[in-house]
Amino acid sequence: MGGMHGFGGVLTPGSDRVAEHPWELRVFALSTLVGIHGIGAGSGRAIREEMAPADYLAAGYYDRWLWSTERRLLRRGTIVDDDVDNWVARLRAGERVPGREDPEAARRVVDATLEASPLRPAESARFAPSDRVRVRPMRPAGHTRCPRYVRGVTGIVETLRGMDVFPDIGPYGGPDEAVYAVAFDSDDVFGPSTEGRWTIVLDLFESYLEPA
Amino acid sequence: MTRDHRHGPDDELALRAAALEAVLVEKGLLSTDQIDAIVERYERDLGPQNGARVVARAWVDPAYRDRLRADATAAIAELGFGGFEGATMVALENTPDVHNVVVCTLCSCYPWPVLGLPPTWYKSPAYRARVVAEPRSVLREFGIELPAEARIRVWDSTSEVRYLVVPQRPAGTEGMGEEALAGLVTRDSMIGTGLARSPGA
Repeated sequence: MGGMHGFGGVLTPGSDRVAEHPWELRVFALSTLVGIHGIGAGSGRAIREEMAPADYLAAGYYDRWLWSTERRLLRRGTIVDDDVDNWVARLRAGERVPGREDPEAARRVVDATLEASPLRPAESARFAPSDRVRVRPMRPAGHTRCPRYVRGVTGIVETLRGMDVFPDIGPYGGPDEAVYAVAFDSDDVFGPSTEGRWTIVLDLFESYLEPA
Repeated sequence: MTRDHRHGPDDELALRAAALEAVLVEKGLLSTDQIDAIVERYERDLGPQNGARVVARAWVDPAYRDRLRADATAAIAELGFGGFEGATMVALENTPDVHNVVVCTLCSCYPWPVLGLPPTWYKSPAYRARVVAEPRSVLREFGIELPAEARIRVWDSTSEVRYLVVPQRPAGTEGMGEEALAGLVTRDSMIGTGLARSPGA
């Protein structure tokens, strides 16, 4: 949503906290655990973008996570359509969320959050630092990591970050591609501003770019 | 905080979140303590106190600062931090001439191992839309007025690379130890929407 207008001020009362309600962090945990246990399908990040734009903008951050977590579970067949609705009705009727303890599993999932797969070293790369590149004009139908506000804009490659799976296919199932930090001048992105000029740097996949 | 145009009232969302938890626990797919453990981990263990240790070390130890510049992921791992949303880290050093500020316009990517989970404003459409297009005006809302000649660099976290801003070391901190220095390093100073505190401030 880079460059969109009309959102008002950034800081609002309470906006300094990481969550406003306890359920939000539980949804964060559920989403994380669905990933760790592999019981959901697809990418939560990509699925959240399937929300209708007006709903997406209206929803709170963890509302979207709740929405995407349910969909990942449904698509994998881990839950079926009525499962959550049925439990909503049971909770309304006064039933409590069931509890179950498994301390060994609780230790394992915390350890799992320490795992990380860094970008891999680049074996072959089309562009090199200081190359001028233009972001291809594009209108991808699904998930992408190429924001609209830089499409068609020319910038300078600063750094080759490494190789990572191309996110637009799959999503996150594409072949490995080089990722570059590309610097753009604000004049080229947004035109002249009363704020003067600044630099915007994005990490962009090789197929988003062409020589300029 | 009141949020307009909610998907549903918060009690409805709380109910749905609880229902989802109930479904997964009842099916035997999750245990309650796994959920508690993840919440506790991200609420208590991970937070700006971790990033502050990285920054303070970089301020007092030039060899560490060099390692942080060369390979931030490895330098941060030396202090025991890493994992989800921190697999590939890059440190951005603020100087009198360059001020770095970090955003994720596409979602809300944030370096969890060093900063914890992001504050609500970082995830807000207002921040995501505006900081790339009018950074000085946004920084002013945070109380920062940068000199006109300072070049702002806005970093949009569009790949799996995550950024940690290393704020400038405040004046008057020459004799301070690493731990006391870490106390001056705020969360916002490591996003770039703040400066490190001055001693006694």
